[in-house]
Amino acid sequence: MTVAVARPQIEAGTVVTIARKELRDSVRNKWFWLYAIAFAGLAGVLTTLALPSARVAGYGAFGRSASSLVALVQLIVPLMGLTLGAQALAGQQERGTIRFLMSHPISRSEAFIGMYLGLAAALSAAIAAGFGSAGVITVMRGGAADAGSFARIAILSWILAAAMLGVGMLVSAFTSRSGVASGSALFVWLGLVFLGDLGVMGTALATDLPVGALFFSAVANPVEAFRLATLTSFEGSLDVLGPAGTYAVDSFGSALDALLISVLILWVIVPVTIAWYRFTRGKDL
Amino acid sequence: MRRTAVVLGAVFALTSLATAGAQSQPIDLQALVDAAPSGSVVTLVPGVYAGNVVIDKPLTIDGGGLAVVDAGGDGNGFEITAADVTLRGLTIRDTGDSLDRENAGVSGRSASRMVVEDCVFQNVLFGVFARQSPDAVIRNNVIGAKDLDLGRRGDGIRVWETSGAQIIGNTVDGGRDSVMWYSDNLIVDGNKFTNGRYGLHFMYSHDATITNNVLEGNSVGGFLMYSKNLTFTGNFIGGNSGPSGYGLGMKEVDGASVRDNQFVGNRIGVYFDYSPISYDVTNHFVANLVAYNEVGLMFLPNVERNAFTGNAFIENREQVGVSSGGEFTGNIWSVDGVGNHWDDFGGYDADGDGIGDIPYKLDDLYSVLIDTHPEMAFFADTPAARAVDMAAHLFPTLRPRPKVVDEAPLVDMPQISPRPSGATTIESTGLLGVSLALLAAAAAIVALSRSRIGGLR
Repeated sequence: MTVAVARPQIEAGTVVTIARKELRDSVRNKWFWLYAIAFAGLAGVLTTLALPSARVAGYGAFGRSASSLVALVQLIVPLMGLTLGAQALAGQQERGTIRFLMSHPISRSEAFIGMYLGLAAALSAAIAAGFGSAGVITVMRGGAADAGSFARIAILSWILAAAMLGVGMLVSAFTSRSGVASGSALFVWLGLVFLGDLGVMGTALATDLPVGALFFSAVANPVEAFRLATLTSFEGSLDVLGPAGTYAVDSFGSALDALLISVLILWVIVPVTIAWYRFTRGKDL
Repeated sequence: MRRTAVVLGAVFALTSLATAGAQSQPIDLQALVDAAPSGSVVTLVPGVYAGNVVIDKPLTIDGGGLAVVDAGGDGNGFEITAADVTLRGLTIRDTGDSLDRENAGVSGRSASRMVVEDCVFQNVLFGVFARQSPDAVIRNNVIGAKDLDLGRRGDGIRVWETSGAQIIGNTVDGGRDSVMWYSDNLIVDGNKFTNGRYGLHFMYSHDATITNNVLEGNSVGGFLMYSKNLTFTGNFIGGNSGPSGYGLGMKEVDGASVRDNQFVGNRIGVYFDYSPISYDVTNHFVANLVAYNEVGLMFLPNVERNAFTGNAFIENREQVGVSSGGEFTGNIWSVDGVGNHWDDFGGYDADGDGIGDIPYKLDDLYSVLIDTHPEMAFFADTPAARAVDMAAHLFPTLRPRPKVVDEAPLVDMPQISPRPSGATTIESTGLLGVSLALLAAAAAIVALSRSRIGGLR
């Protein structure tokens, strides 16, 4: 039997095998557990703290816990996705795992897709555990929330994680040392979570930025797109966000949701595609 | 005399019904009214009667809950031009839609002591309109509205120069405002004003008591303007979140006592527009719950002489805002050593007397930024906005002057009795299901990673 290493060919079986290997490696990774437990724990604590006073005539029953949860997701999920992704290619390259992997009849595309899917599965487990425990605690403490919006926030968090994982792998594909990759990923995290917003805020304050420009420069950031998409689900509208929110509602109306989710999906597709291109066209391993 | 009138009315009705039945024409109620002696009671048998009825003498019309008065899409249901007229137990429907002519279900003009009670209004422009009709009683009616653009709708209840009116136990849904003009000593108790523009609107109407009402889902819950000595007690004001979205707005209102109300889930809980206006007047806010609003209390700059004691401020996105961030001093946040409960109070109560040992200060930099630059509200609650607040606390030079200083904050939440409201409670079973499914998914993924992998181990 000839083992033709047909490069562009992608076999589902191989991809799944690599994905499962990557998932197993992640689950054995202490960092993954640290993140998962921190996320689930914080989600539980936040929900608990937000609940006690939170019921007057059906108002505000979940809003506060939800906005705490969303802020937590904004902080932790990008950190998880970016660092796991950054470690993926550079770290394995440094340890020689990829060279070992490529000695098997596996195409680089298969390896890349497998790794991405495996890591995404690991992240999904962490997020599902976090939201699951937050939800159970809410119910146990006599709270209630609309199951639909709760599920929606969980799904949006998952999409955000998939996007951040891709960005992490993009960082990884352009560096060969895992230390550099991790450092760069942290910097990207800082940029997306803090510096991006602070920059738009500062620009708006200094230059009287029109609300439309403010809206678009904020929404280009996947972390912001995620936040706004969750707000539309549990606040019902972006009116609460002042003039820029009103602008968004007036300009896009019911298409707003689609716009925000498209931004998130673009952030899933584009970085991963560039990372894949770079990795498969790479020279040495 | 009175009994004959009743019988007479019923006979008229029956004969009209008999003749009308074949042609399915509405019964001529005007003829019945014209034939009835002054001061009599006309009891209507069930059926559909023609509207645009003019009543120009003291009279009681009792529909027993089954008589329908249909204006046929034109004019008023009833026009009352005499004192001592009572309408009871009628369904009044399909008035005209002319705002110029103020088409109303019941239009009273110089109708002192008119009584409208236990009536249902359907597809009416205005519901009950009382002009110069002192001591009118509008009680236990259910008033709907026409399905028009908000600007083309009429008012559920409009009272004009009608002092001493009692508006009690009505349900008004979907109209424009329920508005009181130039009418003193009103009693507004136990009504529900929902899904309108201004649930309740006071203009130049002094000395009213407004108690136990529900103002919910309106663009503005209640707006009190240019009125003196209003008592506003025990009301539930929730989910008023239109473009202005005030739970209660107060414009140039002197001598208001706002006590024991619940302002919940509005865009702005209470909005202060130059209230009080007189220099020797203080408005009092006591034991209210202000919770889950975007902004709990919003003041125009330079508003002063409002005194707050025993109120609870819970989980408002911004507890107190100052519009455009101008000068803001001169309000009183504790009275006789009793302040308010603030859920973001970070102090302590070592001596256990229920009063915080350090003052409550509202000095978040980011909320000041929002006051001066409303577009900054876009980033409220983001990690970046929290970082700005944290920076202000780390570097006191960045810290703004506090908007509120409560010298005697209450450590414990005051007792709040629940109020009726139309908000739906959410079942928790769905949430539990979703949560358990998520936990199961997490467990399945981890289990998957532990099973053998073909080829690779």
